Amino acid sequence: MKTQTYYLNLGPQHPSTHGVFRIILELDGETVVKATPVPGYLHRGIEKLAEARTYTQVIPYTDRMDYLAAMLMNWGYVKAVEDLMGVEVPERAEYIRVIVGELSRIASHMIATGAYGADIGALTAFTYTFRDREYVLDLLEMVSGSRMTFSYFRVGGVAEDLPEEFYPAVKKFLAELPGMCDEYDGLITGNEIFQARTKHVGIIPPEVGINYSLSGPTLRGSGVNYDLRKVRPYSVYDRFDFDVPLGKNGDCFDRFRIRIEEMRQSGRIIQQALEQMPDGPIQAKVPKVIKPPVGDAYAEIESSKGVYGCYVVSDGSPKPYRVHFRRPSFINLGYLGKLCEGWKIADVVAILGSIDIVLGEVDC
Amino acid sequence: MFGQGLLKGLEITWGRMLGKKQTVKYPFEKIEMFPRFHGRFQLDVDKCIACGLCANACPNKVIQMEKQKVDNKQYLTKYVMRIEYCLFCGLCVESCNKDALKFSSVIDMNQYRREWVRLTLVDRPAPESKKTPEEAPAETAKEQAAAGKAAPGKEG
Ligand code: SF4
Ligand code: SF4
Repeated sequence: MKTQTYYLNLGPQHPSTHGVFRIILELDGETVVKATPVPGYLHRGIEKLAEARTYTQVIPYTDRMDYLAAMLMNWGYVKAVEDLMGVEVPERAEYIRVIVGELSRIASHMIATGAYGADIGALTAFTYTFRDREYVLDLLEMVSGSRMTFSYFRVGGVAEDLPEEFYPAVKKFLAELPGMCDEYDGLITGNEIFQARTKHVGIIPPEVGINYSLSGPTLRGSGVNYDLRKVRPYSVYDRFDFDVPLGKNGDCFDRFRIRIEEMRQSGRIIQQALEQMPDGPIQAKVPKVIKPPVGDAYAEIESSKGVYGCYVVSDGSPKPYRVHFRRPSFINLGYLGKLCEGWKIADVVAILGSIDIVLGEVDC
Repeated sequence: MFGQGLLKGLEITWGRMLGKKQTVKYPFEKIEMFPRFHGRFQLDVDKCIACGLCANACPNKVIQMEKQKVDNKQYLTKYVMRIEYCLFCGLCVESCNKDALKFSSVIDMNQYRREWVRLTLVDRPAPESKKTPEEAPAETAKEQAAAGKAAPGKEG
């Protein structure tokens, strides 16, 4: 009997693509022969927009990349500008950055966890993680005034000190966080149907992960111990005691599971940061009009999706000559096409969800 | 045993069913915003010296202002925020060193039409030099600003 492959278009508007992402699937029956990702539907040209803004004015645009962990997006950019200018950030500001950054990471992982549950069919779990994420957003709103696009970082520090009401609220949250993670584990991780759908599906071998320059939980799920906060500590991360959760098999289940573990570790980091936080200024002495010397700088941080880098070139004027962002979601997607080959359609959704992309960042 | 995980999940959801409600009935019940909340803008016209720092700080050219020189002093005649382009980043509020521009905690700024979103904080004629007392127009403008009137002043 003669059979023929056919094409199926998934997305750009499909709930399981986590935004406006499109994959063209060539299918043989239900089996994927070839998968071609088509990003670009959310492209706003942030890198180009940045060239027409002053250094400070670029900060709100970085929020709009990974809008689920906007604090971390701010961080990479201001760090690059600070490196370029040789600014020393005050200690207290670094601690505040760590606290809000880790809170942002928790919020982002909560979405990843809940949305992945929903992808697989555990819609209840989605409501649980979203409920808890609201608490994190409350905390960040207290600090910055916004719930998602914070624009809280400034070159040389942060916009404002932590407010008084933040401390009791964050303590309460940290006390509840392990319980929340247990709930997710009970609802999703332990669920046999979920495990059957995700275990041994979409395996990324460690050396392939490295070759494709994957990073973040996607890489660590394959057991590669690479977390910038540990291997090349920036800010004050070398002062905290935390573990880097690693997967064993590199399958969807491992990638999912370590995000929940990372939330617990982030909680530990915040706890220590609150205890160690010194008093002092929150903003370095930076001129009103930021004019870095001619040159370029590249800074990297560990965002919730992986290694987020920012490259800034200055021509000595108050506006950046060129800004480039290394967005982890985009680079992690590089292997998606290969990864989907040979799996069934339903697995494509499981695989895509396990990489945890956010389209604002992919398309930039 | 297969199914244990499922039972555990059921236990959690059943336990939650009797727990506290997590939502509010929004238009009827409102939650209080935090003091730093980025809501609708407020301009204290008496404090504003029409320096234009806020307009310059804005990444998206949201703030459009007009001023006139009256008796060697800058007089703010128009202050319009094109909220439809606003990122609510707060750079304008931060740049105002007279504390004139502020965020309020008003959240419902949604309108049916894009042009209705526009926020006219000040729109007044400049007083005539010397002869006219300055208080009168400033007073009305202040009231307008306090009410934070949207351009056509009409909802829906
Ligand atoms: S909040 Fe930001 S975008 Fe909006 S008017 Fe102020 S500076 Fe401009
Ligand atoms: S609101 Fe503040 S920054 Fe803007 S013109 Fe008035 S005084 Fe200047």
